[in-house]
Amino acid sequence: MPLSTQSQGEDEQYVLVATLDNARNLSNLLKAISFKDHAIFTVTPNGLKVTVEDCKCVQANAFIQADIFQEFTIKEDLIAFQVNLTVLLDCLNIFGGSIVAGISTALRMCYRGYGYPLTLFLEEGGVVTVCKINTEEPEEPIDFDFCSSNVTNKVILQSESLKEAFSDLDMTSEVLQITMSPNQPYFRLSTFGNSGSAHYDYNKDSDMMELFRCAETQTNRYKMSLLKPSTKALALSCKVSVRTDNRGVLSLQYLVRNDDGHICFVEFFCCPDEEVDEDL
Amino acid sequence: MNCVIEGSCIKVFGKAVHALSRIGDELWLDPMVKGLALRSVSSALSAYGGFLFSPLFFQQYSLRSLSEQHRQAIKCKVLMKSVLSLFRCLTSIERSVQECHISITTPTDRVMIQFICRHGITKTHNLSFQESEAVEAMFATHLCPNVLKAPARLLGDMVAHFPVFQEEITLSTTPLKVCLRNYQEGGKGHMKMTCTEMSLHPDEFDHFQIGEDSDITFCLKELRGILSFAASHCLPVSVHFGAAGNPVCFSVKDEVVDATVVLATLNNSESRGPPQPETPAPATPRCADAAVLPVGVCEEHERVLSSQGSPEWIHPLPRISGPTRLCEAEECASTTATPASTKICSLLFKALSSEEEDDEDDGCTARLPVLARYSDEDENDEDYPARSSTVRVEF
Repeated sequence: MPLSTQSQGEDEQYVLVATLDNARNLSNLLKAISFKDHAIFTVTPNGLKVTVEDCKCVQANAFIQADIFQEFTIKEDLIAFQVNLTVLLDCLNIFGGSIVAGISTALRMCYRGYGYPLTLFLEEGGVVTVCKINTEEPEEPIDFDFCSSNVTNKVILQSESLKEAFSDLDMTSEVLQITMSPNQPYFRLSTFGNSGSAHYDYNKDSDMMELFRCAETQTNRYKMSLLKPSTKALALSCKVSVRTDNRGVLSLQYLVRNDDGHICFVEFFCCPDEEVDEDL
Repeated sequence: MNCVIEGSCIKVFGKAVHALSRIGDELWLDPMVKGLALRSVSSALSAYGGFLFSPLFFQQYSLRSLSEQHRQAIKCKVLMKSVLSLFRCLTSIERSVQECHISITTPTDRVMIQFICRHGITKTHNLSFQESEAVEAMFATHLCPNVLKAPARLLGDMVAHFPVFQEEITLSTTPLKVCLRNYQEGGKGHMKMTCTEMSLHPDEFDHFQIGEDSDITFCLKELRGILSFAASHCLPVSVHFGAAGNPVCFSVKDEVVDATVVLATLNNSESRGPPQPETPAPATPRCADAAVLPVGVCEEHERVLSSQGSPEWIHPLPRISGPTRLCEAEECASTTATPASTKICSLLFKALSSEEEDDEDDGCTARLPVLARYSDEDENDEDYPARSSTVRVEF
């Protein structure tokens, strides 16, 4: 493999070297959170976390654990930088996006440290491309302070039915209202569009509902425009967990199985639009 | 009104909505004792579609709303696209929806359409409606000289030969054959378009009765909906028509559904006349020019506002029995015995006060019979300089 012919000496200068036999395992996940141009990369010995934020009220994180990579070498405890995600995705797909059985793009991602570009070595069918993407000072990702102990309501659903629900959603509605309750309607997605209101109810005994743990009735509204990007992650996932905490902050966690069958996670946080106390 | 539709009937209902969506932008819901009627009228008022579902179609059917036991059933109209979006994907409805509940209630001022689906999922849609008296095209099919009846598949196969963008087709019938061809405006189009013509022998039809030779041209798009509906249920389609200028009625019936589409046809002189100068085609088909859809309003004598908003006439329906010429409105006013308020000759819906009704006879003399007019009136005038701004209909 051409990528492995790089001399050991060159590797010494990199603080991070990560290789993947199939770059799609990374690019698919990144595409799922690519609703903004810039992404913050946070790398630890555990793996890679890529963060995208919008309007200071929505945040998406993609987690790729170290063991997903064929090689993952990191010389520091924490590395953080910011890159243009659109450019990165273009590079990862530089050999074209077509999916042909048996052919995949191999990736070797290297980073020398603060101030250096992110270097990508991409190889497919014996052709090697080197991309160097400028890195920027990483912004501090928002800390939504979302912890399990504050979670009031949690459900885990099979993505299949939620995909249908989201595709049916009335996009003329500015908000998506989520009601979770130990009583009827249990789990309800509501929209208020031009032609009227629509409700999508899941019974707690539904066979699409893998887990139902709701302690109190909560109704929260979220801007549709902020949640819409999450549908990309939903499309890739097989299960999704929906949690709200006592402030109404929404956490969506998507379980994504990559091409090799390994599991990765994508997470969305969204702040509520307004407090709605009574059931509508 | 509240009703429940079960299982495979939901798809039938959805197909009716699809068929009506080809006709108009608004869907009238008309709950009656004899069943729930869905109706639509095209914006050019040249096409009408109605699907009547008898109470047997429903698992439950009640005119009274759940909360208001004594109030009369509400008749209303909703935006077609709102309802269509609920029934858009019929295959997924077939797969996952077990029951459909529809109710019209005033406290909420909403039409509620609820789908009870598999996996414990319930989808509820509350659509805003506008209270509106029902509209219905009154068409005396028993007076039509020509009647054809054929399996939907036959008619569907015939129209399948025409491109999707083909606006109008001409149905020519003689006692010896039936011919369908595409219609082009003027003569110029001959060199640019593919001309398709096909003929059928009377034996192909389940029923073939041609009382008089005729050549009618009507809008194809509006017809496809009902043909698709009939084909999916393997039902025969009946076609009632007469001379050019008279409406053509396509109907499909079975024990629980009665579907009717009435389309205006082009005036005879236009389909046979010398090539007219081409005008930029307005969005509505030219059939609207000579539209003579007799439209009746429901028994309560209330009117629906003309979509054009213009103060146009509603003329009494002239007799279709013979080749009488409709020239003067007085004539038509006098020939018709029925109270003018109940039968309407033109396609125009009008909000008439009682004073206007009284004036009708007097007013007739002052104006030529307006049978159909739409917003592109000026274009029409240029198109047919020989005429006045109104259109004559020959019977």
